[in-house]
Amino acid sequence: MRKEDTVKLISAEGYEFIIDKKAAMVSQTIRNMLTSPGSFAETQHGEVTFPEISTVILEKICQYFLLVSPIRQYVLSRIWINPKAF
Amino acid sequence: MNNNQKKRNFQIEAFKHKVVVDPKYADKTWKILEHAIHEIYNHNASGLSFEELYRNAYNMVLHKFGEKLYSGLVSTMTFHLKEISKVIEAAQGGLFLEELNRKWADHNKALQMIRDILMYMDRTFIPSTHKTPVHELGLNLWRDNIIRSSKIQTRLLNTLLELILRERTGEVINRGLMRNIIKMLMDLGPSVYQEDFEKPFLEVSANFYRVESQQFIECCDCGDYLKKAERRLNEEIERVSHYLDAKSEAKITNVVEQEMIANHMLRLVHMENSGLVNMLLDDKYEDSGRMYSLFRRVSNGLSTIRDVMTSHIRETGKQLVTDPEKLKDPVEFVQCLLDEKDKYDKIISLAFSNDKTFQNALNSSFEFFINLNPRSPEFISLFVDDKLRKGLKGVSEEDIEIVLDKVMMLFRYLQEKDVFEKYYKQHLAKRLLSGKTVSDDAERSLIVKLKTECGYQFTSKLEGMFTDMKTSQDTMQGFYATHGSELGDGPTLVVQVLTTGSWPTQPSVTCNLPSEMSVLCEKFRSYYLGTHTGRRLSWQTNMGTADLKATFGKGQKHELNVSTYQMCVLVLFNNADRLSYKEIEQATEIPSSDLKRCLQSLACVKGKNVLRKEPMSKDIAEDDAFLVNEKFTSKFYKVKIGTVVAQKESEPEKQETRQRVEEDRKPQIEAAIVRIMKSRKVLDHNNIIAEVTKQLQSRFLANPSEIKKRIESLIEREFLERDNSDRRLYRYLA
Repeated sequence: MRKEDTVKLISAEGYEFIIDKKAAMVSQTIRNMLTSPGSFAETQHGEVTFPEISTVILEKICQYFLLVSPIRQYVLSRIWINPKAF
Repeated sequence: MNNNQKKRNFQIEAFKHKVVVDPKYADKTWKILEHAIHEIYNHNASGLSFEELYRNAYNMVLHKFGEKLYSGLVSTMTFHLKEISKVIEAAQGGLFLEELNRKWADHNKALQMIRDILMYMDRTFIPSTHKTPVHELGLNLWRDNIIRSSKIQTRLLNTLLELILRERTGEVINRGLMRNIIKMLMDLGPSVYQEDFEKPFLEVSANFYRVESQQFIECCDCGDYLKKAERRLNEEIERVSHYLDAKSEAKITNVVEQEMIANHMLRLVHMENSGLVNMLLDDKYEDSGRMYSLFRRVSNGLSTIRDVMTSHIRETGKQLVTDPEKLKDPVEFVQCLLDEKDKYDKIISLAFSNDKTFQNALNSSFEFFINLNPRSPEFISLFVDDKLRKGLKGVSEEDIEIVLDKVMMLFRYLQEKDVFEKYYKQHLAKRLLSGKTVSDDAERSLIVKLKTECGYQFTSKLEGMFTDMKTSQDTMQGFYATHGSELGDGPTLVVQVLTTGSWPTQPSVTCNLPSEMSVLCEKFRSYYLGTHTGRRLSWQTNMGTADLKATFGKGQKHELNVSTYQMCVLVLFNNADRLSYKEIEQATEIPSSDLKRCLQSLACVKGKNVLRKEPMSKDIAEDDAFLVNEKFTSKFYKVKIGTVVAQKESEPEKQETRQRVEEDRKPQIEAAIVRIMKSRKVLDHNNIIAEVTKQLQSRFLANPSEIKKRIESLIEREFLERDNSDRRLYRYLA
C-alpha cells in the first residue's frame, strides 16, 4: 500500500496502527478530521493521536473498520473480544 | 451445547465515564477551544490537533457544559467578525468588494473547521435545545455583523448597482467577483438576497429602462427600437445566467418587458412610417417577427398586433373590392385577392410563427370584405372560367391543383354560395359546349372539391352536364354508325343533347337553318326519338358553332369557325352577292339584337371581317347592306370569329340573375322551415329565424324579413298555424 492511501492511528500507549484510509473513513469523526479544510496537524502528517483510547480498544476499532469498510478482502473473518481486556 | 451457561458468563455493561471532579474543568476546556478559534481566524491552524479539540468539545457537551460552549462560540465569532468588519470598511474604492470577497472565503473556511471540531455538539446538544446549528449560526453572524452593519450595507448595495449600471452602459466589469458576492448573498438566505439586493436591483433597473425607453422611442423608428429592446432583453438574461440567481431571470425580464414594451406598445404599433402597418405593406418579415416575439411576452401584446393587422386587412380589402378600376377586369380582381391572401399567409408563417389566432383573424377579415361586394361570386366564377379556358394551359397537374385549391379557399369565404353556383353553371355550360376547356381532369377535380365542400346536391347538376356530354358522344357515334352511309358528302353534324334540368335555362329562340342543315337535323331527331321515346328535343340555335370552308375573291381558302347564327347568315351569301339587313333578318328569323351582334362581329371587327358593310359605320342600321369581302386575308388558314366567351354581365343581365337567385331561395327557405317545425312541433318566432339562418348558412345568408314572408306563406297554405294565445308562437300542422 502506498503512503497516501494510509493513515496512522496512535493509541494512548503510543502503539501505531497503520490502516487503509478508506477503512478509517468509516468513522465520521476521523473523516472530518482528515478532510477538514483547515491545515490541522492531522491532515498535514496523516496521523491521528488518541491519548484517551487504549491500545487494545484501538486495535478492536481498527478491526471493526476493516470489517465494515468496503475493502473487505483484507478483513479478518471474526472479531474476538476478550472481556478481561477491559 | 450449554447455551444458558454461556450467557451467564458473558455480560456487557454500559460504559461508565470518568467523573469529573475539577470545578474549573469547563473553563479550562473552553479556554483551549477559544484559543483554537482565535488561531483559526488568524490563519494559524496548522499547529492544532483536531483530535484534541474534538475531544475537548465532546467532553464539554458530555458533562453538560454545552450551553457554555455554545455561548462562548457565539461571542468569540462575533468578536472576530467585528474586527473583520472594520477591515472591510477601511477598504477603498474598488478594493471594497475584493476585500469583502476574500474575507467571506476566509470565514467560510474557518466556519467549516469550527463546525468539524464541534461536530458532536452539532449532533447532540443543538437539536435537543433547538438552537441554530453551527454552520447556520456562522452565516447568521456574518449577515448581522458584516452585511447588515450600518457602514457596509448601503455601500455594498450601491457598489453592486453601480457596477451593473456600468455594465449596462457598455463597460466590462469583473463578473467572477460579482458572482461570488451574489452567491454570498444567496447563501445567507433567500430573504437576504431578495431584501438586500434583488428588490432594489429591480427598482433601479425599472427606472433605468424607463428613462432609456423614453429616449429611444423619441429618436428611433419602430424597427430599430424593437432591435434595441430585444438586445437589452437578451443582455439581462445573459447577466442573470452569469452572476445572478436564476430565479431573478423571470423578474428582471418582466421589468424590461414592462418598461420597454408594454408601456410603449400602442405607440410602437401605430408609429408613422415604421409601425406595424408599414411592416406589413413592405413585407418586413424580420421586423414584424421580432415584434411578434417581443409582444408575445406582455399581456395583450399579441391581441394588439392582431387587431391592428385585422383592421388594416379589412381596410385594404374594402378598398380593393370597391375600387372601380379593379372591378373592370374580374380575373384581375380575383388575382389581386389571391395575391393578398398569399402575402398575408406568408407573413403569418414567416413572422408570426403560424399563430392560429392570426390565421383566424385573417380568414374572418377576408370573409368580411369579400362579401362587401355582391359581385364577388360572379367574379370568382369568371376567374375559374378564365383559368379553365386558357390560364392553365400547359400547367402541370400539381400546379393546377394548387390553383384550384386557392379558388376553393376563396369560395369558402363567400356567403352567397348559391349565387356562385348559378354563375358557375352558366360558365361551365359555355365551356363545355364550345369545347373550350383546357383539361377535363381539371374540371372534374374542381367539381369533386365543390362536392366535398358543399355536399352532393350542390354538384349533382354539374355532374349531369358532364354526363350529357359523354352520352351525346355515344349518341353521335350510334347515329353515324346507322346513317353514315347515306349522309356521305353532306355537312357533318355534331349534336350535344342537354338534359333540361341540369343546364342553365335559356329561352329558346327562332332561327331558320339552311336547308342542308335542317334536313340533317330532322334525320337526327327521328333517330334519337326512335331510341328514346317520350322525350322532346328543341334545338338551341343560340349556343351552337359551325366550321365553314370559304373561298374568297383571289382564291384564298380559309376555314371559318363561327356561331350557328353567323353560319346561317354566311350561307345566305352562297346564293346572293349582296343582301340588306332586312333581307337577312327575314331569311334567318334571328331576333334583331342577336342578329345585330352577329353581323357586327362578321363585318366590323378588324382582321375578321369576312363581310363588308355599306356604309362602313360601326353600328348596324336597318338599311345597311352586306357583301362578301373578297379582299379578306388572314395569316392563318383557320379563322375564329365571334366565339361565345363568358363575359361579365351587363346591368340588366345582372339584375335578372339576381332575381332568379332570390326566386330559387324561396323554396329552400320554406323547406328549411318545414323541416325545423316538423321536428320541433312548436317554436317561437325568434328561434325559427335563428334555426333557419343556421341551416342555410352554408349556401347563403338568409334575410329575416324574407323568412317571415315565407312563414306567412306557409301559414296560408296551412302547413303552419299561429298559436291562439301567443302570437309569436307557431305550430306545425301535420
